[in-house]
Amino acid sequence: MNNLVPGKHVVVTDFDGGEGILVDLNTKKYYQLNETAMVVWKGLEQGKTTNEIAADITSAYEVGLEHATTSVQRIVDNFQTYKLLGAR
Amino acid sequence: MVENLKGWLPVDAVVAEDRPGLSWLEMPDVPLAEPFFQETVDRARSQNGRRELFTEFDTLLQLEKTLDTVPPTGFIFHASRCGSTLVSNACRAITNSIVLSEPPALDKLIARLITDAAAHSPRSAIYSALIRALVHVLAQRRNGDERHLFIKFACCSFSQIDRIRRIWPNVPWLFLYRDPIETIVSNITNVPPWLLDSDRRVLASITNTSTTEVASMSLEELCARTIGSLYSTADRLANDGGMLLNYNQLSVPVISSVLKFFNINPSSDELETITRTSCTYSKETSRAFIADAETKQQQASALVREAAAAWAIEPYRRLEEKRMGNHE
Repeated sequence: MNNLVPGKHVVVTDFDGGEGILVDLNTKKYYQLNETAMVVWKGLEQGKTTNEIAADITSAYEVGLEHATTSVQRIVDNFQTYKLLGAR
Repeated sequence: MVENLKGWLPVDAVVAEDRPGLSWLEMPDVPLAEPFFQETVDRARSQNGRRELFTEFDTLLQLEKTLDTVPPTGFIFHASRCGSTLVSNACRAITNSIVLSEPPALDKLIARLITDAAAHSPRSAIYSALIRALVHVLAQRRNGDERHLFIKFACCSFSQIDRIRRIWPNVPWLFLYRDPIETIVSNITNVPPWLLDSDRRVLASITNTSTTEVASMSLEELCARTIGSLYSTADRLANDGGMLLNYNQLSVPVISSVLKFFNINPSSDELETITRTSCTYSKETSRAFIADAETKQQQASALVREAAAAWAIEPYRRLEEKRMGNHE
């Protein structure tokens, strides 16, 4: 079970074929997410672990597990840096 | 607070205490009955006791997730003073329809696409998401039985049709236009706000000039260059889900064909209403409509004719060829 979840102060909206827009309601900052970042965000919404999200990515895209795991962790780190995640 | 905004409409995009956002008006019981959205807002504001408030734009994205709304049925674009209000009034005659006729907040957000957001930039994506959410909120089901949504955009918004169609790729769209001399005469006789816009970046972008050049142009030239650019855009895109309609074609059967293009089959009662309203002046329905093409041609000054010849007549001719299927 993942301990990180999207913050309640964040609104996400799908846009343009898999990409998305995040808004931090506290800072009023907007972020554009690419398709992979949206998959990660939605995985976190569903309570998935980073490993489970990486596995989802390998089944949807032609990418190896190691590369996917690294990408997911980097994206999660970015979410944390910008304080977009909360604890379960 | 967001959950309490059902029945409120974002009536303008404003800046309050240095914060850009939206002005909202409580209007759950106000039908959008006037030819222009702003006229409905003015009527609602004249009634005492209506509350207003300001929010930042992110409210739209929150409401987009909760409000029941009507998806767009058809879009009406135009090159100014060419019968688009007549068409939007006809759409209003369709039972259970919502017609958003040039809502200022939509016009202003689309203008920001022009001035603040290069194509494919993060800002472009953010503004586009806000535009989608704004329409979602404006088209909320306030009665519960609304089924069709027609949007008449401000004329300059047509320059952004590529980005608008990226938001709603499957919505049929109409482009209305008119002989450029008649269009310019109408616009300089009764000058619309878009032609006097003090933020000249929008018109500079549309006319592919600088703000300094826009400032130095006569109204005739500015109008001619703008509508010429809009004609060229329509010419480029008309085969891609669009319908072209010249002012001189307007009649009840043609309006009915527009509605069918929007996948609406008007009933006999609705057609009767359309017939009745099309005999009145579309922007002031208490006035009888009088065809004025000949008068406008006679009123055209040498400056109007020069500007039209330099900037608008050739793209108009190409557009007419395309409409009539003769485009090579």
